[in-house]
Amino acid sequence: MEIIKKYPNSFQWLFLLIVFFGLCFGIDVPEGYKYIRSIAEYSKDPNLSSYNLFGIEVRYYAYDTLWRLPPLLGWLPIWVNDSLFFLLNDWMPIEFWNADIKEFQTRPLILQITRVISATMLFLIEFIREILIGGIKTVVAFTSWDWIDANPWAELPGIPWTIVTAGAFILGYKLNGKGLAIFSAITMIYISVFGQWKPSMETLSFVLVAAPISFLLGLVLGIWAYRSKRVEGALNPILNVMQTMPHYSYLVPIMVIFGVGDHAGAIATIIFATPPMVRLTLLGLRKVSPDVVHAGKMSGCNDFQLLFKVLIPTARTDILIGVNQVIMQCLAMAVIASFIGAKGLGWNLLLALNQLRIGLALEAGICITLIAVLLDKMSLAWAHKQTDYFANLSFFERHRYGIFFVGAVVVGLIFASVGSFYFKEGFNYLYEVPHNKGISGEPFWNAGVDWIWDTFFQTLKIFNTWLIQDVLQPMRAAFLRMPVVATFVLVMGTGYIVGGIRSALVVGGFTLFIALSPWWDRALVTAYMATFGVIASGIIGIIVGSLAAQNKTSTKIVLGICDTLQTFPSFVYLIPVMMLFGVTDTSVLIAVIVYATIPATRYTIEGLRSVPPALHDAASMSGVTPMQRLLKIQFPLAFPHIMLGINQTVVFALFMVIIGAFIGTEDLGQYILKALSDVKGGGKGLILGLCVAFIGLAVDNLIRTWANKRKKLLGLEDY
Amino acid sequence: MKNTINYTAKLISVFLLILTIFFVEAKADKSGVIKIAIHNWSSQLVGATVIGELMKKVDEKVEYVLMDSQTVYQSMADGDIDIVHEIWETQFGESYNKALSGGGIEEILTHDAVTRMGWWYPEYVEKECPGLPEWKALNKCSSIFARTDSNGKGVYIGGPVEWSQHDAERIKALGMNFVVKSLSSAGSIWKELDQAVKNEKPIVVFNWSPNFIGAKYKGKFVDFPKHDPKCISDASWGINPKKLYDCDNPINGYLKLAVNDDFKKNHPKGYKLIKHMNFSNSDIDKMANYVDTGGLAIPEAAEEWLKDHKDKWFIWIK
Amino acid sequence: MSAPVIKCESVYKVFGINAKKMLQGVSGNVDAKSFQDAGCIVGVNNASFEVSKGEMLVVMGLSGSGKSTLLRCISRLTDATAGKIYIEGQDLLALKNKELIELRRNKMGMVFQSFALLPHKTVLENIAFPLQIKGIKTEDSISKAVEMAKLVGLEGRENYFPRELSGGQQQRVGIARSLAVEPDIWFLDEPFSALDPLIRKEMQDEFLRLQGALKKTIMFVTHDFDEALRLADRIAIMKDGIIEQLDTPANIVLSPATEYVRKFTQEVPREKVLKIESVMDPTSDTKNLSDLKVSKDAIIETVAEKILGQEKPVSVVDSNNKVVGIVKPSKVIHTVFGGRKENL
Repeated sequence: MEIIKKYPNSFQWLFLLIVFFGLCFGIDVPEGYKYIRSIAEYSKDPNLSSYNLFGIEVRYYAYDTLWRLPPLLGWLPIWVNDSLFFLLNDWMPIEFWNADIKEFQTRPLILQITRVISATMLFLIEFIREILIGGIKTVVAFTSWDWIDANPWAELPGIPWTIVTAGAFILGYKLNGKGLAIFSAITMIYISVFGQWKPSMETLSFVLVAAPISFLLGLVLGIWAYRSKRVEGALNPILNVMQTMPHYSYLVPIMVIFGVGDHAGAIATIIFATPPMVRLTLLGLRKVSPDVVHAGKMSGCNDFQLLFKVLIPTARTDILIGVNQVIMQCLAMAVIASFIGAKGLGWNLLLALNQLRIGLALEAGICITLIAVLLDKMSLAWAHKQTDYFANLSFFERHRYGIFFVGAVVVGLIFASVGSFYFKEGFNYLYEVPHNKGISGEPFWNAGVDWIWDTFFQTLKIFNTWLIQDVLQPMRAAFLRMPVVATFVLVMGTGYIVGGIRSALVVGGFTLFIALSPWWDRALVTAYMATFGVIASGIIGIIVGSLAAQNKTSTKIVLGICDTLQTFPSFVYLIPVMMLFGVTDTSVLIAVIVYATIPATRYTIEGLRSVPPALHDAASMSGVTPMQRLLKIQFPLAFPHIMLGINQTVVFALFMVIIGAFIGTEDLGQYILKALSDVKGGGKGLILGLCVAFIGLAVDNLIRTWANKRKKLLGLEDY
Repeated sequence: MKNTINYTAKLISVFLLILTIFFVEAKADKSGVIKIAIHNWSSQLVGATVIGELMKKVDEKVEYVLMDSQTVYQSMADGDIDIVHEIWETQFGESYNKALSGGGIEEILTHDAVTRMGWWYPEYVEKECPGLPEWKALNKCSSIFARTDSNGKGVYIGGPVEWSQHDAERIKALGMNFVVKSLSSAGSIWKELDQAVKNEKPIVVFNWSPNFIGAKYKGKFVDFPKHDPKCISDASWGINPKKLYDCDNPINGYLKLAVNDDFKKNHPKGYKLIKHMNFSNSDIDKMANYVDTGGLAIPEAAEEWLKDHKDKWFIWIK
Repeated sequence: MSAPVIKCESVYKVFGINAKKMLQGVSGNVDAKSFQDAGCIVGVNNASFEVSKGEMLVVMGLSGSGKSTLLRCISRLTDATAGKIYIEGQDLLALKNKELIELRRNKMGMVFQSFALLPHKTVLENIAFPLQIKGIKTEDSISKAVEMAKLVGLEGRENYFPRELSGGQQQRVGIARSLAVEPDIWFLDEPFSALDPLIRKEMQDEFLRLQGALKKTIMFVTHDFDEALRLADRIAIMKDGIIEQLDTPANIVLSPATEYVRKFTQEVPREKVLKIESVMDPTSDTKNLSDLKVSKDAIIETVAEKILGQEKPVSVVDSNNKVVGIVKPSKVIHTVFGGRKENL
């Protein structure tokens, strides 16, 4: 009795585990249940049981409910899809004037709205794209094809690459001095010399449209949430779900609503990139001290003036970091958006991966990464740049950079026209290096891949076999062997111990949704892959982080590496692992581990470094050894923060597992990809995405509740 | 003064924005450009570019639109796409027929190319598994196709999930001791095949004809019970009275070309060209080959094909 | 006497969801504990007072005493839960948003403890900010700002950004900004609390100099009793939202109303607060006087040395140089040292 009173928590855990394993072993696998490959999904197999809901027939394999719940939510994707279809095609027809056929036409309202949005987006993208690489569609939009036929000279010429490079150089210099300037120039020259100019500019053009729109949208929503508690309350769960939904699952409904093409890609990107902007805007505005707000009010600001002259300028840094986040998300989506028709580097990369031309894919990947790192550095430099005062400067000093740029434009144009005389064979290298005329590293990379395969094939294969046979297969079997009741006991029990009834109910609710969906088995597979990834990257991250946190230099270096790796679009991680491990589950898991180790490492370092120096001094005076210091002082204090890192790790791992479906894993991600090529896949994609999001949110809820409680206990500030 | 300028600038920009939206909406649906669908396999990409280049020769304007190969038919019916030129019976027949019956699509022609898709093995496998290409024989020696992660069952290397082959259903319906491992792309299948052939290991993969593999390796398709339209609509048909898909894919499948309903009206010159054109097995084969083994980029491959087959397309555009 | 510039009648500020309901039908000081049990926190509890033109009222209290809340009620940065507040006879709480903005633009200025400068604007732009908000042309507002910068001693730093200034300088900017629109009413919320002691002293002197020239109606909030004594015409001492005592510095030191106030006054050196008037005796013996004459309004400390240098009592005169009493050196000694005997 004494012991129980002393360690009540440990006994709760022990009891929970006993019940959990008891259920696992107590409930037999029902006959006829086969692991995963025969799935209890909606199909036409007459062996299935079925039920009717709202006139929709749902079929499923009937098992004992203790083992698997019936898919009572099986109607939901179909219903979502039907509603979408109804909204798009039948709801509220309106009349409008069609100038083409000079007649009134009827079209459903929503369809008309989405058409206008699509057309606008497409026009904006084309417009910027044609400024960068030239074209005629913008001209056509303001005139007509007939006019173009009559006036063949009318074409936007596109900017020579030399000018864009010079522009990037000057901008880099202005924002952060020499280093950034040189990096910008090298990036641009690399892109041009390797013949990736056109696709890069295509990608850039669509980022340049998506990013400002996300920025504005995020800013407006953030301000709205700042001003109204109710809006914030409504927005918060939506943002949570949006930020944990895997990228793919946005694509399907967007495809249904907006069609396919650059505009659809941009819209998917906008949806994905807006949430962090909303959050950072809100954060920045919240951070403005109430005294500054009061000072503004006492100066007689009305609401509008208060917002634009006081709040936003004061929250500038956070808002600009939001811009940085938006740009990063846009580039992260660059590849994924090409699943629904966005052109550019992402599409090239996807095509190359489809043909398994790793070298080609790598080249496109490097370009995306370079652009991402460049834009990241530029926007961060902008965010941290303080305003300068120009009052006493001459005209030249004030407009120095502008003048330099004008100069660069003139020089570039001269170069380009000289080039047109010099290069006779039709390609003006001083204007644009065509795709196939640039240097290509493909043979080199391919040779590298071949060499790796030839040299390490046996080793990799043995490793691969071992991993699959002795680790992954048993783990997967164990996950699938869990009866649904046992899962609930485990999840809700953990919730109860960590955060009381409330947590238990929240987490249980998330799990229930997945359990009632037709994809419980798949979700278990996703969970197993993510768990494996999280465990591995958690261990690696904590070890690397603890080692790096021991001194200042290594901290800086490792954090720098983390920063850089984080700017890589997630899809890019798949390329090197495919080089090494081919198209197997192992590749996906390695990518997951690499990707998810980043937050684990970062949070470990941050947590350890944030232990107050006074405590270090106190410890030193008590004569601790370095090991004791780490284990007895740093770790206990940093642990809540490290757990938040693990939380991020879970989200990252889930993302990567789903992206890994592209390689061919057999989890929820595979179904999301499948839904992409289904005309009626919209509802399916969304619900599948929700399942993934709910896994993430359940874990998030548990860890966050625990960490906050623990931090309060330790008297630590919220980071 | 400064304020006035600012204000005017704002006003003008808002005005311009509204104007552009108006313009764009007015111009967006103008059907001046032929939209050709492109998908994610090489022969299709090259073929689309070839058609595009030919269209340019007859003074049409062309745009390539990246599309999913299953949803494309609905998009074509809706008017978002003008031409789809590689409609494989086995793979897309279902989606295509559904969209066709809904209206909005005009079927132009069936290419000379005859298509087949299905389970395929390299020739040397016959030595270890006598009785091939009969499917029952394959099933008997399923164990030689087993892998570490298949629990002793044979592994069949399938194509990307979005290609909607009904292999899992077929395995179940025929009671075969196999599992499907879906790879993400054609390239991955060829990589697996290359590996296996190099080590002479037994393998059975998803393959189709025409493509360049036929020229590279010798091998055969596995024969399942002969295809019948009833097999995929009526469970009682075939060996397994309870299940669908207890049969093979069509052996002499079609390869079709279709356009949007309004194509004839909007692009008479292009329509004339389309009416006359036709790809054969060897055309498709070559187009894929330029890219997959020759390592050419798509536009170059198209250029190459056009150069080699001048006499062929010359008649089409006349 | 003219009407009070600021007038409060039973102002309450209670935080919490049911605050309004709880206050219905209440009069006098409310019981903070019963509110707390209901989930409400009392910020200001039944505050009534007046401030007349040109007067400086210092509200003094420890943190959490409700002094800043009271100030924010009167500037209507928060709305009082109950009670009436009149600014120059206008009912503040009845003002519409537009009228309130007008009032602030023309009549009120406020200085904050944390300076609350806009980080993206220079010194001049910060000072000119209220003017520009009002819609005054850029050139005019800047030239006014230059003038204000000079007034608070910031010449030569007009184009600095706040982050480039020391704390004292930043608060000078804050003061200049609050004065830019030439307000009648000046609110100062612990303006010198964030500064180092030496700078604080300097700024207090500066502030007295400014007030001597400008004669604003001032509400000044502080937690520093010495500061209050130094600056105030009248002091309001607050505790738990209640004004414990509101009186002149001298009266507060001489006759603290409550035990709480007494605790503050115990420590206070009387000679720094009291005027000669409060220690003088009636003129009884006109012959035996020293030649020295002191004003009855002089603070004892400032004249103590002179008086102690005399052997005979010193005569006290009023502003018309008429003798109104005498003061004995022994009494001065008693005031300077006697009052604090128990603390020795």
